Amino acid sequence: MKNYPIWKSFTVISLVLLGIIFAIPSIIYDENSENWFLKNKINLGLDLQGGSYLLLEVQLDVLYKEELDNFVDSVRLISRDQAVKIEKINVQENEVIVFFGNKEKIKDIRDSFFQMYRGVTLQINNNKLSIILNDEYRKIIQDSAIKQSLEIVRKRIDESGTKEPLIQRSGKKRILLQLPGVKDPERIKDLLGKTAKLTFHIVDNDNVSALQNNLAPFGKIIVPDMYDENTKYLLDKRAVVGGENLVDAKGSFDQTEGHAVSFRFDTEGAQKFGKVTTNNIGKNLAVVLDGVVITAPRISSAITGGSGIITGDFNAQEASDLAVLLRAGALPAPLEIVEERSVGAGLGADSIAAGQIAAIIGMVLVCIFMILIYGTFGALANVSLIVNLFIIISLLGTIGATLTLPGIAGIVLTIGMAVDANVLIFERIKEESLKQTKVFQIMKNGFDRAMSTILDANITTLIAAVLLFAFGSGPIRGFSITLSLGVIASMFTALMLTNFLVYMYVSFANKKELKL
Amino acid sequence: MFGLNKIIPVEPNINFLGLRRNFLIFSILAMLISIVLLSVKGLNLGIDFKGGTLIEVSTKNTSIGELREILSSSYSDVSLQEFGNENIILIRLQNKSNQESIETVNSVKNLIQDKVVEFRRSEFVGPTISSELLFRGFQAVSFALIAILIYIWLRFEWQFGFGAVVALTHDVLFTLGLLSILNVEFSLATIAAILTIAGYSINDTVVIFDRVRENLRKYKKLELVDLFNLSVNNTLSRTIMTSLTTLLALVSLFIFGGEVIRPFALTMIIGVIIGTYSSVFVAVPTLLIFKFRPQDEDD
Repeated sequence: MKNYPIWKSFTVISLVLLGIIFAIPSIIYDENSENWFLKNKINLGLDLQGGSYLLLEVQLDVLYKEELDNFVDSVRLISRDQAVKIEKINVQENEVIVFFGNKEKIKDIRDSFFQMYRGVTLQINNNKLSIILNDEYRKIIQDSAIKQSLEIVRKRIDESGTKEPLIQRSGKKRILLQLPGVKDPERIKDLLGKTAKLTFHIVDNDNVSALQNNLAPFGKIIVPDMYDENTKYLLDKRAVVGGENLVDAKGSFDQTEGHAVSFRFDTEGAQKFGKVTTNNIGKNLAVVLDGVVITAPRISSAITGGSGIITGDFNAQEASDLAVLLRAGALPAPLEIVEERSVGAGLGADSIAAGQIAAIIGMVLVCIFMILIYGTFGALANVSLIVNLFIIISLLGTIGATLTLPGIAGIVLTIGMAVDANVLIFERIKEESLKQTKVFQIMKNGFDRAMSTILDANITTLIAAVLLFAFGSGPIRGFSITLSLGVIASMFTALMLTNFLVYMYVSFANKKELKL
Repeated sequence: MFGLNKIIPVEPNINFLGLRRNFLIFSILAMLISIVLLSVKGLNLGIDFKGGTLIEVSTKNTSIGELREILSSSYSDVSLQEFGNENIILIRLQNKSNQESIETVNSVKNLIQDKVVEFRRSEFVGPTISSELLFRGFQAVSFALIAILIYIWLRFEWQFGFGAVVALTHDVLFTLGLLSILNVEFSLATIAAILTIAGYSINDTVVIFDRVRENLRKYKKLELVDLFNLSVNNTLSRTIMTSLTTLLALVSLFIFGGEVIRPFALTMIIGVIIGTYSSVFVAVPTLLIFKFRPQDEDD
């Protein structure tokens, strides 16, 4: 074992052993193991274990428009208090322009308005007041909407019984969801697709002409029925009480009404509800969900207990899903699904099986090829190649990386590319062996000369892999991870392990000449 | 015993550079044809970049024709395709808005529910996302090319960087041209394949350039053409060996890796062949534009 330092042998052997030992958890793959060691296994991506990836976009435009409507309502109220006549209101994309009958009190109106909405930009020009939704104000609306939406989405997903969901903000106005093991993505999408804004409104049955002309007077709104678009109700715009006052909701069954949702208000809600039902006996109370009337029963007596039921044309699943939505609360703005990738467990299992077969066959082919070409040295390179695979697996397991289908492709590709460093070394040794006869000198020169080439060649591949990680998404990132780990591991196995094995072989076989 | 590597001589003497005019014409033609193809025929964009809906189902007691009949009565823009075997069918739909697509998936599922054993996969990419993904794909490829150029420039002289980038551009264009002819689906995975091809091709080029640099120092008097020829010949057996092992692994992936990964494997196979070719026949000849030695300028 001439020239081969003990510490180097020790390092190589221990790294190889570590590589093999830490690959064990991923190879055994006991899904439910709580063992500290066996827990260090590869995470399977959604495309391999089955599940849904969803990207949702918060519809901020709806919120901005709502806020502009609030501006209009508030400015009307303030000017009514100040007894100033409004001639005209223009609502534009980002601002509301109010034309007043006179300009005497316009500054007072501006100040009162500013008390209510700090942060908006207000400009006075003669009898004209411009209320501008500026960028900072929009950003405040945006941030709080995303925060609230995240919270509500999390509650809804938890309620739906999904295990280990990943829910996070993505970019300015998007929410990313990864839901492993989801079997019915349509139901999840249904749950997320509803704003679930629940409000109770008193029905105005007196103003028949408003409904006929489809023109709501100030302070009223026209809302269609949930089941029949042609049936419309004229309601007080101001809600008596809303979903934010609910403390509980669940699906229930009523002998006469069928499936229903029973709910309970908090103290404040119960008081409001009690007061309104006491004062409006004989009138109808509309239950409005996301802009449609579910039901509008007649108030026959005061309801002071703070609980009630919502009846509609529900089946059991619909009633229980509505209860989930009401419990989780309303989204500040509608969410739109902009990307979905759902994979069933069957396809995932097929992909794993196919990936394993491809990897094994690729491995066997490369090994046979190496032995055919390089003989014993090829066999040594094959040992490195196999160790290389173990190291990739153990690194993936210990850093908790996610293995995806493109990730498996990356591993198979690495098997082919990993021998490159060995080939570079062997070819150098071959050349050196023509120049001189000292066996150990040939090996040393071979490895040293190949080193810089190996580094240059692999760093360029790493650059491509890192950029792929930076710009890629989901499964593609899995590919860049396995490719990078593969490149790094192959440099180690070639420069250290193959080196070690070749030295050992030459020493023990007591080779007097080196001919590749 | 074994040791077939002796088939390839240690110092082969093939006059690669002598043929450079023929290969130059071939490569320029290939790139021109690729550009024409890409602008006229274009790529077969998958839903990642075009937007739309894709549903993969495994079926029983039905045929692709029957499913097509059921669906085409409701959707005019539906396309069906067998995927791997006759029981697995891929359904593609183009939709306009996000909301519409979600409803479409639902109603498609309802229409064919009783013919389907399992909904294996459903993907939907909205119009805003698909254009973002396309943009980011281009960004990734261009940044990778720039980063590689910078690295080569730092490690070698800038002339080598130029040669490498010419070869890379050649590889990317040529590969895209072939993808267009073969009508291979262009998806996110294809972007990954192209970046990996870039990495692989540059890897190949760097190994030869490394040898060129070494030989430039070693043989001060040798004519550049001869020196380049020598460098290519020095590294020839490595170039062939590594390409073959990589291709072995990729062919295994292509045949056994499953239907989903097949376009990726095919793209990589094409790219590895082109990348290997370009290292020898594009990158090295490009270096001839430059005069590396002071004495060459006297000639």
